[in-house]
Amino acid sequence: MKLTKTSKVAIVLGILPAFILYVVFAIYPILQSFYYSVMEWNGFNEMTFIGLDNFKKLFSDPLFWNSVKNNIYVVLASVLGQVPIALFIALLLNRKIRGAKLFRTIGFLPVVLSTVVISLTWSLIYNSRNGLINEVLRTVGLDSLAQNWLGDTKWTMIAVLVVVIWQFVGLYMIIFLAALQNVPGEVLEAAKMDGASEWATTWKITVPMIWDTILVAVILCISGSLKTFDLIYVMTNGGPAHSTDVMALYMFNETFSKLQYGYGSAVSVFIFFFSLILIAVVNKVLGKKMI
Amino acid sequence: MEKTNKISKQKSSKKPLIYLALIFFAIINAYPILWMAINAFKSDKEFAVNQLGFPKEFVFDNFANAWEIANLGVLFKNSIFVTVTATALTVFIGALASYFLSRFDFKLSKWLYGFFVFGLLIPIHATLVPMFILMKNLGLLNTPITLLFPYIAFHLPITIFILTSFMKAFPKDIEESAVMDGCGIFRIFWSIILPMSRPALATVMILNFIYNWNEFSFALVLINDPELQTLPLGLAKFAGQFTTDYGAQMAGLTMSLIPIVIFYIIFEKNIVKGMTAGAVKG
Repeated sequence: MKLTKTSKVAIVLGILPAFILYVVFAIYPILQSFYYSVMEWNGFNEMTFIGLDNFKKLFSDPLFWNSVKNNIYVVLASVLGQVPIALFIALLLNRKIRGAKLFRTIGFLPVVLSTVVISLTWSLIYNSRNGLINEVLRTVGLDSLAQNWLGDTKWTMIAVLVVVIWQFVGLYMIIFLAALQNVPGEVLEAAKMDGASEWATTWKITVPMIWDTILVAVILCISGSLKTFDLIYVMTNGGPAHSTDVMALYMFNETFSKLQYGYGSAVSVFIFFFSLILIAVVNKVLGKKMI
Repeated sequence: MEKTNKISKQKSSKKPLIYLALIFFAIINAYPILWMAINAFKSDKEFAVNQLGFPKEFVFDNFANAWEIANLGVLFKNSIFVTVTATALTVFIGALASYFLSRFDFKLSKWLYGFFVFGLLIPIHATLVPMFILMKNLGLLNTPITLLFPYIAFHLPITIFILTSFMKAFPKDIEESAVMDGCGIFRIFWSIILPMSRPALATVMILNFIYNWNEFSFALVLINDPELQTLPLGLAKFAGQFTTDYGAQMAGLTMSLIPIVIFYIIFEKNIVKGMTAGAVKG
C-alpha cells in the first residue's frame, strides 16, 4: 500500500506492541545474560566483575562435560532412532492400507501431549515395584530381567532415551508421509513394470526423492534434542549420580539450587551459542537452509 | 500381464506383515497412555495384583483424591486462563504486526520481519536464567499474568512467520478498492484482512494453544505460589510429593489428558498441519 503520513503512524502503532513484547521478553534477556555471565552474583548481593572466570570454571568442570556428553547421546538417539523408525512407518502407511487414518491419529498422539504428562506416565511404567515393564517381565517369567530402570545408573540413560524417541516419532512420521505423497506414482509404476523389486524401488527411487525432507528431519532432531529439559527434569532430575544430566539441567541446578546467577548465565550463553553454531554447521554441511 | 500378476500376489503375501508392524507400532504408541487411564480406575489393592487387565470394579476414589490433593480445580483454572489469554493476545498482536509487515512497503519491513523470525532460532531454555532475573527485577514473579509475557514473546515469531506468508499472497488491489470506499487502515485490517486469513489464524491459534497448555520450563522458573501453578507444573509437583500414591497420580494425569485429547480429536487436521509447519519452520 502507498505510504502517506497517516499510514506511517499506523505502521508504527501496529507493529509496536509485538516489537516491544518481543524485544523486552525474548531479545533483552539474552543480551542481559551476556552481561551477567562475566559477573559473580548470588542474586541478592552486589555483583562483582570477574571477567571470564565463570567460563574458565565451566570448561574445567567435569560435571559440565558429563552433561554435554549426555546431551550428545540424546542427539544421537533422536537422529538414529526417530528418523529411521518414522521413515519405516511412513513407508508402510504410504500404501493402500485399511485404517491408515487411525494409525496416523494414534501415531501423532504423543506429539500433542504435554511432556510433563509423558514423563510422569513413563516414570510409572518404569517404576521398579509396580511398573508396567517389570510387571510384564514377571508375568512371562523373566523376573531376573526386571530392573530398577530409573534408579540404576546402568539403565537410566537408556530408559530416558526410549521415551525421547517415543515422544516424537509421530512428528517425523507425518513429515515423511507428506513428502511421500508428493512422489509421483507413475515413476514407481514404471519401475515396477521394469521388474524392480519393492525393496529396490524404495531405496533407489523413493528415499532419494524425499532426501531433502529426511535432511530437514535430521536438523529438526538435532535442534530439538538440544532443547531437552522438561522430560529429564521430571523423570530423573539428571540423576542418579548425574547419569542423565544434560546441559539445560546442569544450568538449572547450578543456578537455582546453588544460587549462582552469574555462573548460570555463563552456561546460558554457552548453550545459546552452541545451539546456534551447531544448527548453522548442520545447515551448511547438509546444504539446507531452514529459514 | 503375467508379471503384474506376480507382483500383486507378492504384495498380498506381504500385507499381513505390514498390518502386524503397524499394529505393533500403534500399541507401543497408545498402550502407555491407555494403561495409565485404565489403572486409574482400580483400587490400590487391585492395582497391586491386577495391572494388566481391566478393572474388576470401577473405583472413582483416585479421581476424587487427585482432584482434592493436587488441587486440580485451581490448576485447570490457571491453565485455562493463561492459555486462552496468551493465545488470544499472541494471535491478535501477531496478526496486527503481520498485516503491516506483509501489506505495506516501508524501508524497515524486511529487516523487522527477519528480526522477528530470528526468534525461531532462540533456544528457549537458554533464556530461563535471564528471564527469571528480568521478571524478578520487574516485580513480575508469581503473579497471575507472569507467564503471559514469555509465552507471548516466544510465540510471536512462529505466529508472525505463518501469518505474514499467508497475508502476502493476497492480491494487491484488495486494499485499493477499500481505500476508494473510504476505509481506514485499521478498518481494512479488521474487516478484510482478518476474515480472509481465517485458515492461517486457525493454524496459529491451535499451535499457540497447544504450546501454552503444555509449557513447563517457564512456569517452573517463574511460578512458586501453589495457587498460581498451571497443570504441567502442578502435576509435576504433585507427583514429586506423593511419589507412592500411584492411583491418585494416574487419575490426575488422566484428567489432565482429557481436554487435550478431545481437542486433538476435533481439530486433528489443523493440529497436525500446524505442528508440522511449526516444526519445519521452527
